[in-house]
Amino acid sequence: MLNAKIGISAVFMELTAWGGPLLLQENSDSALASYLLAHALASALLSLFVLPLLRATQSRPRLPILILLTLWIYAVPIAGFLGMLAGALVLRYYRSPSIHSTFESLQLPEFDQHQRIKGSFRQTGLRSFLGNPEVPKKDRMRAMVSLQHVSGRVASPLLRNVLNDPSEDLRLLAYGMLDTLEQRISRAVDHELKALHTAQIVEGLEQPGALTLKAVQNLSDLYWEFIYQDLAQGDLRDYASRESLRYCEQALALEPDNAQLCLRQGLLLHALGQLDQAALAYETAHALGLPATRVLPYQAELSFARRDFTHTRELMQRLDQWSALPRLRPIIDYWSAR
Amino acid sequence: MTPPPQRPQAQEADIALILEGTFPYVSGGVSSWINQIIRAYPEYRYAIIFLGSRRSDYHGFKYELPRNVVHFEEHFLYDDLNAHGLPGARKGDDFAFTMANTLVDCLRNGEASTAQTLQTLRSLTHEMMPGGRLQIDDFLYSERSWELLCDTYRRYCTDPSFVDYFWTVRIMFQPLWMLARVAHQLLPVRMLHTASTGYAGFLGALLHEARGLPLVLSEHGIYTKERQIDLLKSEWIRDNRNVFQRDPTELSYFRQMWIRFFEWMGRYCYDAADPIIALYEANRLRQIHDGAEASRTFNIPNGINLARFAPLRHQRPDTPPPVLCLIGRVVPIKDVKTFIRAMRRVVNQMPAAQGWIAGPAEEDPQYAQECQNLVQSLGLQEHVKFLGFQRVENLMPQIGLVVLSSISEALPLVILEGYAAGVPAVSTDVGSCRQLIEGLDDDDRALGSSGAVVHIADPQALADASIALLSDTSAWNSASAAAVARVERYYTDTMMFDRYRAVYEKALQGQKEPG
Repeated sequence: MLNAKIGISAVFMELTAWGGPLLLQENSDSALASYLLAHALASALLSLFVLPLLRATQSRPRLPILILLTLWIYAVPIAGFLGMLAGALVLRYYRSPSIHSTFESLQLPEFDQHQRIKGSFRQTGLRSFLGNPEVPKKDRMRAMVSLQHVSGRVASPLLRNVLNDPSEDLRLLAYGMLDTLEQRISRAVDHELKALHTAQIVEGLEQPGALTLKAVQNLSDLYWEFIYQDLAQGDLRDYASRESLRYCEQALALEPDNAQLCLRQGLLLHALGQLDQAALAYETAHALGLPATRVLPYQAELSFARRDFTHTRELMQRLDQWSALPRLRPIIDYWSAR
Repeated sequence: MTPPPQRPQAQEADIALILEGTFPYVSGGVSSWINQIIRAYPEYRYAIIFLGSRRSDYHGFKYELPRNVVHFEEHFLYDDLNAHGLPGARKGDDFAFTMANTLVDCLRNGEASTAQTLQTLRSLTHEMMPGGRLQIDDFLYSERSWELLCDTYRRYCTDPSFVDYFWTVRIMFQPLWMLARVAHQLLPVRMLHTASTGYAGFLGALLHEARGLPLVLSEHGIYTKERQIDLLKSEWIRDNRNVFQRDPTELSYFRQMWIRFFEWMGRYCYDAADPIIALYEANRLRQIHDGAEASRTFNIPNGINLARFAPLRHQRPDTPPPVLCLIGRVVPIKDVKTFIRAMRRVVNQMPAAQGWIAGPAEEDPQYAQECQNLVQSLGLQEHVKFLGFQRVENLMPQIGLVVLSSISEALPLVILEGYAAGVPAVSTDVGSCRQLIEGLDDDDRALGSSGAVVHIADPQALADASIALLSDTSAWNSASAAAVARVERYYTDTMMFDRYRAVYEKALQGQKEPG
């Protein structure tokens, strides 16, 4: 509002500058001086009016820009004033949107070295680092924090070791991190139990459908996560195995040809010591199309648990035919006697 | 219906008790200790200054205020963070911001000694008091503040987000001006007593500096350590570093900022407090490690009223009742889930066993629900009971063991109460629990073990230790005898009160207000 008033004042002041000498029809020095004075004032007012209409990047530094505008309007009578006024209004109302239609090419930014703190160790030997009470507590604390970025399966055993550390700070941090891992799964279990309950209401217990299948499959996965991430120990591990197996079998009843679920069933039966049924489940999984590389290591492990070393060797030699198992290579080499 | 809590007001008091997030709003070990202390000295008039996070986090008093609390005021650190009008442009005081700059340099470069840094900190906090040269509006809106913020960001911040840096600094320091105002307006008192460092300790130190009053610090847990653990595992602190900037072994800059902030709050309080009291030796050593002057520190262990519990010993049955009782709030720090998991194994071995959880569950309803879910999912509905808040005297004759599965404790009163009633304890190895169960020095250890200690978050070990005691009557009886002997010799409330009376008397000898 103030700016509009300044604009109108500028126009009136410029009209006054021209109107005075014209009305009085005078050519005296005083008429010229009064024109120049009023024109100067009008120029200053107009530049004050124009300045806020410019973009932020064009209007800085403010004072020099203001002086430049004033001088321009002052030095070019009529055309300067009208041009500036028209230009300002056009800029104000017809400014093109500042969206670039195409991608601009930019120089690669220089890597900001200061944002990388120096003097840190790398992740190598984290287990021995964490377990070494000679290492300063602060460094071990930092090493533990880094475990937030690795999977639960890797982090859990390391954190569990630290639960018995003499330093209370480390113990508490390890507990907190383990608890966070456990809580994530527990909450997901609660959520899925509710989903299963809803599915059973919608689909009925007699003819369970896709919703029930999804819920029981998820529940089996989640209880398996407790075991896989090494979060359950002792009696609770057995409990998680049984729950995962229970839901896995419910899912298999609805989808008997799911090879992945058959493998899970085998693993759980294996963990619970039901070796014959586990062997059967592995065979079914393989028959349903799961590649031999996925099933053979577990079958070999099962055979080893039964103390049937001849069969174990035979299975390992079959595994040797596959070249895609770099992590198993030392074990395969051992059993192939190479 | 409970009547609304009374908030007495007075013109002056003897002792200002500065409390953060505890008595009278929260129940628990520290709160009952404070209640005990206030009631032990009816000759002193207490003024309670309660500091909390937000008003909405606290629902009604959990304790009735003792008669000798003549004044009560409460302040909430994060309730009033919004500006009430359009802030005006301001330059900011050159001297104050130069001092702030010096302080930042001292803190960051590590060249200045702790004493020099604390001196600068003291000068700066002095200017934060009403009428000083560094007011909240200058911090929030002045040009000098903006320049300092930009400068420190460029020089030190390793997180790419200036916006997050800007707001972290604001939210971190803003409550300090509120505390300066509280310190300025506080009624005249003769001495200060705070139960923690942190914001309460900062306020205590501010008052000590401004009025020259003696400051007594009694720490149950170690505030700085607890904050550090919270901050290390918290998920609300942003880390905006990209994959090239991030080193997973480095804490995010904002996490480091918060940890350093609480460390220096602790040092500032330790510097002002004399004496600095811990509950047990490990905590005293931690205080020294965190900056407390060793000569000012000593221990005063908790104590309990023996007369309240001694008659219960005769009500016990001859053989240990197969009841394991966890007495405490149902909150994560008590790790109730480990107790429940342990019960699965206990019940497997002793089908008649019961697990009681006696304590309020309102503080963390979500956690309480998770515990209930766990009981159900482990099929322990018949064996684990949530009793809610119970009078300890009613419980003791019925239980065989006091079980503590906490991940952090100081010197838990429930163990002592159990001892006084002749009930042994099985506890995790936290705080002074090992000292309470196995004994501190040779004389103490000669009394024998009054229970068992296990590692934290180990349900199997907790279960096995409990079964071992409950299934062996002679072991249980000797643990019970050791428990009674230990509490009678080392942990009575009269010992604690005598020592605190001496602390108060000594502090009041050097007081200035209201003279």
